[in-house]
Amino acid sequence: MATPHTDARPYYVPVGNEEQVFKAAFRQGLSVVLKGPTGCGKTRFVEAMAYDLERPLITVACHDDLTTADLVGRFLLRGGETEWVDGPLTRAVREGTICYLDEVVEARQDTTVVLHPLADHRRQLPIERLGITLDAADGFCLVVSYNPGYQSVLKDLKDSTRQRMVAIEFCFPTPDVEEEIVACEAGVDHEKAAQLVQFGNAIRRLETAGLREVASTRVLIAAARLIAEGLTSREAARVAVVGPLTDDAIVTSGLVEMIDAYLVEPPG
Amino acid sequence: MSELLASDAETNGLERLGLLASALSGGPLRVASQKISEPAWTDGTTVFIDPAVDAPNRLQALAVQASLLAAGSLAQEVIRKLARRPALTRRYLAVEGHRALAANAPLLPPAVRSLVDSDVAALTDSPAASLAVARQRLEIPDPPQVFGTIHAQSLLAATPRAETSKPKRTSQSTRAEPDTYDEDEAADALDLFSSPVGGGGAIGKLLQRMLGVVRQLGDGGSPGADAPTHRTRSGGRAGATFVFSTDEMGGFDDGADEQRGVTYPEWDVHRRRYRPHWCTVQEVEPRPKAGDTALGLSDAYGLRRPLARLGVGLDRCHRQVQGDDIDIDAAVEAQVEVMAGSAPDEAVYLDSVRRRRDLAVLLLLDVSGSVSEPGAHGQTVHEQQRAAAAAFTVALHDLGDRVALYAFHSQGRSAVTLMPVKRFRDPVDTLVMRRLRGLVPGAYSRLGAAIRHGAMVLEQQGGTSRRLLVVLSDGLAYDHGYERIYGAADARRALSEARQRGTGCLCLTIGASTDAEELRRVFGSAAHATVPRLDQLSAMIGPLFRSALYSAEVRRRTHNSMNAVATEGN
Repeated sequence: MATPHTDARPYYVPVGNEEQVFKAAFRQGLSVVLKGPTGCGKTRFVEAMAYDLERPLITVACHDDLTTADLVGRFLLRGGETEWVDGPLTRAVREGTICYLDEVVEARQDTTVVLHPLADHRRQLPIERLGITLDAADGFCLVVSYNPGYQSVLKDLKDSTRQRMVAIEFCFPTPDVEEEIVACEAGVDHEKAAQLVQFGNAIRRLETAGLREVASTRVLIAAARLIAEGLTSREAARVAVVGPLTDDAIVTSGLVEMIDAYLVEPPG
Repeated sequence: MSELLASDAETNGLERLGLLASALSGGPLRVASQKISEPAWTDGTTVFIDPAVDAPNRLQALAVQASLLAAGSLAQEVIRKLARRPALTRRYLAVEGHRALAANAPLLPPAVRSLVDSDVAALTDSPAASLAVARQRLEIPDPPQVFGTIHAQSLLAATPRAETSKPKRTSQSTRAEPDTYDEDEAADALDLFSSPVGGGGAIGKLLQRMLGVVRQLGDGGSPGADAPTHRTRSGGRAGATFVFSTDEMGGFDDGADEQRGVTYPEWDVHRRRYRPHWCTVQEVEPRPKAGDTALGLSDAYGLRRPLARLGVGLDRCHRQVQGDDIDIDAAVEAQVEVMAGSAPDEAVYLDSVRRRRDLAVLLLLDVSGSVSEPGAHGQTVHEQQRAAAAAFTVALHDLGDRVALYAFHSQGRSAVTLMPVKRFRDPVDTLVMRRLRGLVPGAYSRLGAAIRHGAMVLEQQGGTSRRLLVVLSDGLAYDHGYERIYGAADARRALSEARQRGTGCLCLTIGASTDAEELRRVFGSAAHATVPRLDQLSAMIGPLFRSALYSAEVRRRTHNSMNAVATEGN
């Protein structure tokens, strides 16, 4: 939903040229797709960009029962009359805000088709039920994100949708940058942050060995925040990193061994 | 012997280090115990560690062996030069060990970092360079105890990780053939006018569709449907439900004699046309394995959850309390009620709800000779595919879907054999599992004919509008007169025919080492995936099924609208 700007810029550390690319695409009225694993900073990036560009941001978390009506709007009954209520996408188009559809592949494919005339040069939103076509106001920008996932065979986002967008790829930041992010977000010292990041990087190497999801920057920050509250590194990593990653007892015990190897408690 | 080996508890403790080892080596790696007071070593897939050493030393030994693997220090070409030369091996390990650790430094746990001697590591920058240093007459101290040792013979004997991706069966020399795949793909997609099944082109298919399998199922009648829930399809005023059915199922292919088998055409990629009635498919009852009581009827690999959300039809429900749209009839009635002075019904919305199970799945299991080869994890490909087939059958059956399981192999074009392990009408019971366990891999795989027959059975007996054909195969399509390129093109063709008729196709390769390029050649644009290990199945299966079903749905929708137009024309 529309987020009003607070005074501070959302904390985002650029990894490459993604900020220039996004701003260029915004000025040219192009739509943007953000690709990357979960928890690598896609949502935070959009928040930072909305702040820099001084546009409000409307975020829609997509799920697999999201219908076109959920995005565009629907008639409701009030008294004896029908009343049209705009959906988030329609509101963004009318008001010229940045509309961010998070995890767009989760939405039903017939739903994403409504984005097509908006995403290409037309920048229009036809509203069938009202019989009108809205032109997008200045400052409207469509941003979608998705996680390409573990197998390239899953072509979940339709080609016709993808080709209407500028793609920005995200990956986990380099260890130094990530250490900086973890330390800054959670307010822990650099040594603890470095240990967590090294542990996270070791887990990421396991993708090939059968772990479906790996430790994201988000879970590392969560662990660091628990550490800032006084938990030990090992406790924090166990509940914030290992627990969310797997339900499997054998994998859990393997990860706990990794915690013991990587996270060393300072003596005393 | 047993005194020398660690107790079970300690062994488990070592196995738990497997994830750490995999992370350090960048690939799957296990940890196992070995005889007390032997130095640590690895065969490329497992690190063997003395269970008696304390935790810090164990960690260091593990890190060294895993780093050696990660840094390519144990590559075949280097190791070959070390065989039967213990002194050189020791000198090589003393140099290369430090290099490998240094190369892996960003990932090394704190307790291991002190092990790296950067002076020694600076002497070399590759395994070959380390070998050269080891051969010089420099004074090199013996490697520390925790470096363990390199068993060159064991490494050479074990299948090296880098080379497992090669297809195991080298195919026969094929005719030199220009690469015509792209062209063929295009033909696959646009081939509306030649008939894949005999009996007319697009018009014929249209007629078949109109006159043949039309079955509208009434309320609560769809095969395997859940019991009706509290949500009703429509309110009490919706009027009588009616069923229209112009023909029973399976009427149009009765001509084929069961005894002689059914003939199918085959796509000849070299001449770019079909060979009509080329392959004869026979259904042969599989022999159940006697005395086998292992059931395996549980939801073995956690497949039920990802599959539960699939194949559920969207129902448009009238007269709901909330929904996407206003049910105009209900709204008008409510308004009339208000004006007439009585209390209106507030349920005036249309909602689309997923609740109707509407999926028939036919599993085709490849039991040709090639699947009896050992896969990457000890079990043969056949064992893994069989376990997957059992898990799918049970999970889908539990969910109330229609499911059938057929195994296939072939011995030339006149003897393509399909063995119904479970037909759609059979219950899932011990007999099915015993039939499945009784399957013995052998002969070849004429994939195209098997797919055509499977798709036909699915269309005739599935009885639902969503149909999915799942092919479990190692992707090696080969038979007499069915060499690699020809076979791949025919299999691809057969899959695209099935898709044209609205049947989703999904091809799974489990545990086999067929390379991705070869699979793409055989399975074309159908959804296909290689699952390295069975326990990874549940994570991947949801999106795969969804994408296979979706591609078929698009076709079906087009067909349905064509039907509608044709019916209106009448």
